[in-house]
Order: sequence, then structure tokens, then C-alpha cells
Amino acid sequence: MSKEIEHLDAKGLVKYFKDEFKTKVTKAEIKTKKEGKKQSEIVNIWMKIDKSIFKPFIKHLCDYQYPHLAVVSGNDFPKVIELVYHFSLDYGKDRKEISLNVAVDLPKSKPEIETICDYIPGALITEREKQEMLGVKVIGIPDNRRLFLPEDFPEDVYPWRKDDKGMEKFIRNLHDEVKK
Amino acid sequence: MAKGLTKAFKRALWAYHCNTGSCNGCDIEIVAALCPRYDVERFGIKLVGSPRHADVMLVTGPVTRQLEKKVKRVYEQMPDPKVVICVGNCGNTGDVFYESYNLVGPVDNVIPVDVHVVGCPPRPEAIINAVAKAWVKLETLEAKK
Amino acid sequence: MTDEKTTTKATYQIPIGPIHPALKEPVMFEFEISGEQIVDVDVQLGHIHRAIEWTGMRRNAIQIIYLAERICGICSFVHPMSFCRAVESACDIDVPERAHYLRVVHAELERICSHLLWAGVAAHEIGFDTVLFLTWEMREKALDLTEYLTGNRVTKAILTIGGVRRDVTADQLPKIKETLQYFKNNFEKLRHIFLDDKTFKMRSQGVGILTKEDALKLCTVGPTARASGIKKDTRVDQPYAAYGDLDMTYMTPDLLTGEVNGDVYDRIIARLLEVKQSIELIETALDQAPAGELVSEPKIPKLLAHIKKTAGEGVGRDEAPRGEVFHYVKFDGEHENPYTWKVRASTYNNILAWIPMLKGEQIADIPIVAASTDPCMSCTNRVIVIEKNNNKNYMLTKEQLHKLSVQKTRRLMR
Repeated sequence: MSKEIEHLDAKGLVKYFKDEFKTKVTKAEIKTKKEGKKQSEIVNIWMKIDKSIFKPFIKHLCDYQYPHLAVVSGNDFPKVIELVYHFSLDYGKDRKEISLNVAVDLPKSKPEIETICDYIPGALITEREKQEMLGVKVIGIPDNRRLFLPEDFPEDVYPWRKDDKGMEKFIRNLHDEVKK
Repeated sequence: MAKGLTKAFKRALWAYHCNTGSCNGCDIEIVAALCPRYDVERFGIKLVGSPRHADVMLVTGPVTRQLEKKVKRVYEQMPDPKVVICVGNCGNTGDVFYESYNLVGPVDNVIPVDVHVVGCPPRPEAIINAVAKAWVKLETLEAKK
Repeated sequence: MTDEKTTTKATYQIPIGPIHPALKEPVMFEFEISGEQIVDVDVQLGHIHRAIEWTGMRRNAIQIIYLAERICGICSFVHPMSFCRAVESACDIDVPERAHYLRVVHAELERICSHLLWAGVAAHEIGFDTVLFLTWEMREKALDLTEYLTGNRVTKAILTIGGVRRDVTADQLPKIKETLQYFKNNFEKLRHIFLDDKTFKMRSQGVGILTKEDALKLCTVGPTARASGIKKDTRVDQPYAAYGDLDMTYMTPDLLTGEVNGDVYDRIIARLLEVKQSIELIETALDQAPAGELVSEPKIPKLLAHIKKTAGEGVGRDEAPRGEVFHYVKFDGEHENPYTWKVRASTYNNILAWIPMLKGEQIADIPIVAASTDPCMSCTNRVIVIEKNNNKNYMLTKEQLHKLSVQKTRRLMR
């Protein structure tokens, strides 16, 4: 039995999450961009949350409205890996869509995160891609195979990591070879 | 058609298309060459589904690591005399993908290429010109026999 | 009590794509078949991995525009546009109004080309080669117009960060109007061939159904989602460029037929309705475009210097002919090249949708169902069928698979 949650705008959404998770939401910013003669608005919410509330956060979001997951992108910093989940809500209502971008920090010594495939089955492909490109371990993922990299690529070389040294023997510059 | 066509090559040219990781731009222009505007089919040239029936191989794309073996296998399955045409800049020199960890290199590194077509993507007229040149080469190969 | 049905595992490399196997991008499918029906599907990707995002993180923003164009040849306007919008959002760069309208014109022109290409492919998979030639001949007119406006048929290179590079001047307008009139005259013919023909209906109605729930859960986008009844269109949801000023609505099949089934027929309807919408959008955009500049910062070194100093992240979402395209860019304020660049093309969300669509269908329906989602990747040659019991391997070539599909059509026509 779920209570009736009425439709929230951007500020209401931020309040909805802050009320539930209080200090674990470390950053919440609303950016609006206006384009065209009629100045139609494009609303982006950028939030940063603690890793410990990640799964409850997703559940809270699905309780409000089933989101559309666009993709998960990853930033590689010296000590943490930051995963950004890009959701969008309120599609289907003329011009009122809100984009929600949620960032989670994972320590590089133990980059693990829970899967969201049990709530959103469409997240499978993007989670597999993060596993092989950044070295993030997704706990509970239904399908653990590689997605894009060839099978003979070594196991612990991650192309998107900035400090990765194992990549050097794979990189080839085709223009140099043609000039020879 | 091109000058120098003797009648040594007694059948119409059949082509097989192999995509080794291209963006599809060149592939669309190859199919556009078969459509009524450019209409290569009036010369009897058609695309076939199996390399064993083909005389000419059209290769597009920079060769990715996963497809290197496949390209070699297709080349070996084609019966002699055969000609390879490399369509588009990706296969010739790598184009914008010149630095990558998953590409094996220009098609030259994998199989021997006879005709290069330049362009990103090349126009259908350029592709037809290349097939005509390939035809002339096939004629010389066949006449040698 | 369980029925022991013998299942055979078939490793497929699906042949979707116009005839003459030209649009071939290898994707591996593994089907588990019982008799003629498909029981389970498995997808393997990765053969076209060119390491574009990795390469992009080593180049500056202007070079990435030309790299992004070559991600896909058919959607070669939308990827640079999403990237430019992401950079403009991250670095606070304004775009003049005239550029917004011109971007709409080019995007809709590309949509017409792409949908006509798809219509030909779908007709070919069913077995009507004449319709393939007819639609691609119409497409040639659209490509002529593209060449007239931008200089090339595919990969147009007309975008830059902060606007467009070329203008549509008043003396180019008569040719545009003439091409649009040609499309309007022939649209009825197209609609009649695809939607009124008995054979098309028999092959496509009730086949490859994707329910609304499945489409929501798997996060599908584009006409695939709209044909299942979900109203999801980035141009209407988050109006970017000049779409906010133009009159638009979601193109779902119930606008034409009144009901939504989520099968292949509905996807044909959704795309044909979009072609009509695109023609109207181009006309309105050209009429309403204000005069003004094309680019906010014409000097490129100044632009790159500005990007180098700004730190920020931005998101650009656009509606490609196949669905939503997403670009994420992050700059760190010290280098010209982005710290992170993430691209999500629309087909990646639609791939998982093939699994519920293909379960329960027959082998002969695979080409048309797979082609109906308009994948920006198509496949090649063989089908290897391995019989579990007697360890026999036999191969079906692409021609044989295509023949199976055509034979089914002929059977239904009798």
C-alpha cells in the first residue's frame, strides 16, 4: 500500500529526497536553461549522495514515479571513482520533463556498488559497460560477461582509468604506420 | 564503361561486401549505387550473400580486433581471380580513428588491397569508378591464364 | 509433468539490413529454438568497438565534433548536435536564435532521410524489392537537398559549438520548397503502399509485440517506445533548439488507427507519421526563422581558450531518428580536452527490447522484427544451427534466411 504522491516540480523533488535522507544528500543543485523565442525551459537537477543510501534512494525514486534511465557515466579521479546516474522523470507530460543526475562516489580501493537491475531491468547494458571500462564491480548483476572489449583483452586493464599503465601495448597510431 | 575492356572476363561482376567496423556511411553509399539513380545493376553487377560466389570484395571500415580473423577468412574463401576494393578513408588510413586501442590498422595490414577509394564517404560515382577499374584488373588477371 | 521438447541451440548472426547485405554491422545472437519457434534469445555486442570515447578524451572540443559525426553515418547530425549542446551547457555558451532554427531544419531533414531508408529496408525484408527501390529513389531527392544546403550527402560538418557554420539564404528557399512539395505529393503513395497493402498487414500485424510494461522497464526510446504507447519524445519533453516554439505532439499509432498494439505494423505507422511531421516542421521553421548571426563566437582559438578555463559538466539530449541520444561532458578547467566524455546512442537501449519481442516468434520472422526497431547496426551472413542430439552442424547462409522470410510472404499471399 503506497500513499498517493502528487506531482512535484524540481524544487519539490529536491525537498522530497532531502526530507527522507537528510544529510546523506551532500549536494543538490537545480540548473535551468532557456532556449528559443518562447524561452522553453530545460531543467537539470544535479545531486550527490552517499554510497550507503544508494539502494534506498533508488527505491524512493521508483516509489514516486518509474524513471527512465538514460545511461551511467563515470568520472575517474585520483582517489575515487564517481558514477553519475542520469534519470529522467515526467516524460509524456508536454514539456515538463525533469532530468535528474545523481552522483555516487566509490573509493578506489574497493569500487563496488549494488545493481539496480531488480528495479530497472534496462540498466543491464550500461552496468556491464562500467564493469569492463572502469573496473567497478556491480554486486548482484544478472549477467557478468564483457560487453564491448574483445575476449583476449587482459582482465585488469581498464581503458577509462586515467592512470592505467597496461594500455600502452594496445594503442596504435595508424597514421604513423601508413607514413612508413 | 572503362577503356581497355576486352572480353576476357566472360561473366558479370559479383561483389561481396564486408563491414569491418565502419560507421555505415560508406555502406549506405554502396547500396545507393545499386538504386535506380546510379543503377549499377544494368551492368550486371550485384551484391551476393556469400564470398564463394563473388569476384570482388568491398571492404569498409577500420579493422577492429574482433573482426580481423573474419576478414582474413572471407578473403581466403573467395575463389581466384579476385580483387579487393577498399572503400572509404577508414580503411585506407584510419581517418579520424588513427589512435585507438582496438583497431588493427588500415585494411592493407590484413589483406592485400587492389583499389583504394578516397572519401568520407565516397560518392556512389566514385565507387562505380572503382568497380570499373577492378573490372579492368580482373580482365588482365583472367587474360593471363 | 514436464514435456521434454528437444531444443536446438542456434548461433545466429542476424541478417538485418538492406538487401544486398550492405548495412552489415556484426551483432551476435544466440537463439534457442524448439521446432520453428524461438524459446530464448541472447545478445552479444562489441564488434564495432572503435574506442571513440577513449580517443575523444585526448582531443579538443572542436576535433571531437568531427569524431562524433562518424559514430554513425545515418544519424550523423544528431551526435555532434548533442555534443555541442552538452559543451554549451557545461561552459555557458549562448547560441543565437537563428542558429536554433537552422539546427531544427537540418535535424528534421536528416530524420526524413533516415525514415525513408528504414522503410526500404523493412520492405526488402518482407520481400518487396520494388518498394525498396521506390523509397530509396525518394530518398535521393532528400539527399540532393542535403547536398545543396551543406555540401555533402552524409557527414555534413555543419555544426560548431555555439551555432551553425552555414546559412540558408533566401535564394536557396525555392529549391527547398520544391523538394518539400515533392514529398507532400508522394507521401500519400507511400502511406498507401505500407499501410493499405494486405500482405504487409499479414506479415506485420501481431508480430513482434512489445508491451507497454516491457518497454517501460527496459527503458526503450524512440519510435519503438512510441509504438507501444509510451509518450516519450525528447523534442516535446524537453524542447531544445527551436522545438519549443513549434507546434508538436507525440506521434503514437492511435493518432491514425485509434488503438495501440505494439507490433511491427504500429512501428511502421509511427515512422510514417513522423515523416509527415518533419515536413511540416521544416516549413514552419523556415518561415519563422529570425534574421541574425549564426555563431556566438566565430573565432575558434578564442572559443577553445574559453573552454579551457571553464570547469563544469553538461548533458545534451536529443532526439535522433532512432530515439534519444545522450552525451555527457565534463571539463576540469585546466585542459582543452574534456575530462570525461560519455556517449549513449539510441540503439543500446533498444537492444534489450529484442528479447521479449522475439520470444515465441518463428525463425522466418526474425529479419522483419529485428529490422522494425531500426537498429543502427546490422548484421551479417551466417546462421549456424547445431542439433544437440546428433551433433550435426548445418549452416544457413544469409540468402537462405532471407529466402525463408520471403517464402512465408508468398505462402500468406496465396
